[in-house]
Amino acid sequence: MDIIVCVKWVPDTSEADLAIAGGAKDIKKDDLDHDINDWDRFAVEEAVQIKEKVGGKVTVVSVAPEDAEEMLRESLARGADEAFHLWDDAFEGSDGYAVATILAKFIKDRPFDLILTGTLADDDCSGQVGGMLAAMLGVPNAVLVSSIEFLDRKVKFKKELEGGLYEAVEMDLPAQLSVATGLNEPRFVSIRAVRKVASAEIPVIDCGELGLDESQVGPQGSKIQVEEVAMPPEGEGAEIIGGGAEEAAGRLAEILKEKGGIG
Amino acid sequence: MTRIFVLAEHRLQKLRDATWEALEAGRKLAADLGGELNCILLTDNAAGMADELAKECPKVLVVEDPKFETFNSDSAMKALAAILSDKAPFMLVMGNSNSMMDLAPGLAVALDAALATDCFAFEVKDGRPAAFRQMYNYKVNAKVSFKGAEKIVVTLRGGAFPFSSGGGAAGAVEKIASPVADEAPRKRFLNYVEAEKGDVDIASADIIVSLGRGIGDEPDMEIFESLADAMGGVLACSRPIVDKNLLPKYHQVGTSGVEVKPKVYLALGISGAFQHVGGIKGAPLIVAVNKDAKAPIFRVAQYGIVGDLNEVVPALEEKIKDLKG
Ligand SMILES: Cc1cc2nc3c(=O)[nH]c(=O)nc-3n(C[C@H](O)[C@H](O)[C@H](O)COP(=O)(O)OP(=O)(O)OC[C@H]3O[C@@H](n4cnc5c(N)ncnc54)[C@H](O)[C@@H]3O)c2cc1C
Repeated sequence: MDIIVCVKWVPDTSEADLAIAGGAKDIKKDDLDHDINDWDRFAVEEAVQIKEKVGGKVTVVSVAPEDAEEMLRESLARGADEAFHLWDDAFEGSDGYAVATILAKFIKDRPFDLILTGTLADDDCSGQVGGMLAAMLGVPNAVLVSSIEFLDRKVKFKKELEGGLYEAVEMDLPAQLSVATGLNEPRFVSIRAVRKVASAEIPVIDCGELGLDESQVGPQGSKIQVEEVAMPPEGEGAEIIGGGAEEAAGRLAEILKEKGGIG
Repeated sequence: MTRIFVLAEHRLQKLRDATWEALEAGRKLAADLGGELNCILLTDNAAGMADELAKECPKVLVVEDPKFETFNSDSAMKALAAILSDKAPFMLVMGNSNSMMDLAPGLAVALDAALATDCFAFEVKDGRPAAFRQMYNYKVNAKVSFKGAEKIVVTLRGGAFPFSSGGGAAGAVEKIASPVADEAPRKRFLNYVEAEKGDVDIASADIIVSLGRGIGDEPDMEIFESLADAMGGVLACSRPIVDKNLLPKYHQVGTSGVEVKPKVYLALGISGAFQHVGGIKGAPLIVAVNKDAKAPIFRVAQYGIVGDLNEVVPALEEKIKDLKG
């Protein structure tokens, strides 16, 4: 089973105090830590687990700036066989469509049975790349996949629907699946595993080498454009109970008691 | 004239709520863009559903094909691409349901259309639409334009466009021969798998102590259990807690978990993503403890403590025990 996993390098915004950048086209990202997109971590793990079970090769690829090499190397430490780093300054500002265009160009002449991605990225929350890539390569796709098994030249999987309901689906290979968080437990990466891949070569491939024209990537190659970002309006909001932990907890306990929160 | 197409969604021979919400958004867009409003229904059997839609929409295009008994994004993509390829300028509107998430990106490529997903509002200026959606863990709002595209696909945030019946005369139902009648889908539905039921039913609990990723990677679950005990409540959680196997799935509150309707909901280390908050129904007292003062959960909570759980939770349990005497 040859599997290509597409991963994204994203700023960690879940706990950060976000600020809007000048021009209001984006947030300030310079001070934010970056890491592999949470959903994609599960995709890498799933690919490695499939390889461990049925054999084959795992290739990890990302369209991401220089710093992201760290993520690709970690993917090798997790058990991927090879990693490719697609970057060119012209890629900056690509939307999901332009990123899918870049990935499709990279994948087009490679043999694969399965392409895995995360269902969506925590930075743009768009969930576009997997399905677009599948359509560009002419293979079927599904998102929110929460378990995968293989039958002869087919893949059988469970897809998450709403309200805890799932559907079992069968699909012809080659195929593209975007995984849901929680479909496996991403492994702990040992120092030994990291050392082993410390000098592994991770080729960087640019726009020209991919055979893409600059008009196909970046803002020019994008179908949508972010015009403006803003923090959502404050609205009513919660009454914040001040004081230290002790004092605030005491006041909160009283409020809970008053409102029936202590049964 | 930009035509607006609304894609209906159904399950078990019943139209889903997302269909009506898409119709609501579509109506407004049709009015703002001055175009005709059409609804597209792909189904194995249109009986009932087509008429129901026609009551609210001037024209319903129906494709009947056994492949559409259950949702099949592979066949739907090909059928819609065939139906819409010569209809530009248009805007295709659909819910951002888990099923439609399979369809929209590939369809946008097949149609060479611009796509914005999970939109919660639209604006039309000088005949050009823009969409509003969220980014960065749903903490930031963004306005997105389509660069003048003549073909646009949008998917809608669940609940953002509450439907109200339009009245008026019933619309026309027009049947279209299935463009995929002779195609074998590469994707085949097998069966539904129901949610696992557990020893607690958070859906019927009055008092809920809900845990989020903020409890850390290796939390001491006992301190939360004893807080829940002291409050006479049950433990629930956000999705990452289930992903990490800290609690079973039937404890998960949210759109892909359980809908709860408690009297009191105490959210500990939960950011308040809409998929989580979307699972809290009724009008409970929501109280949140979070170290990030800008966490979205504070927008829906009535009371909050900005602080570290490790300090607040033990103190809270003690104070509650004191009050109970
Ligand atoms: C299709 C789909 C369906 C989904 N369904 C669901 C669903 O049903 N339910 C659900 O919950 N999510 C669901 N999600 C995921 C959802 O988008 C969020 O990612 C998730 O709810 C985030 O969980 P969280 O708030 O626990 O984690 P985070 O967003 O990471 O938030 C953690 C919070 O903890 C705070 N914190 C950290 N440390 C501390 C500390 N020591 N003290 C106090 N506060 C601290 C942080 O400030 C932060 O606000 C779904 C997503 C998708 C795409």
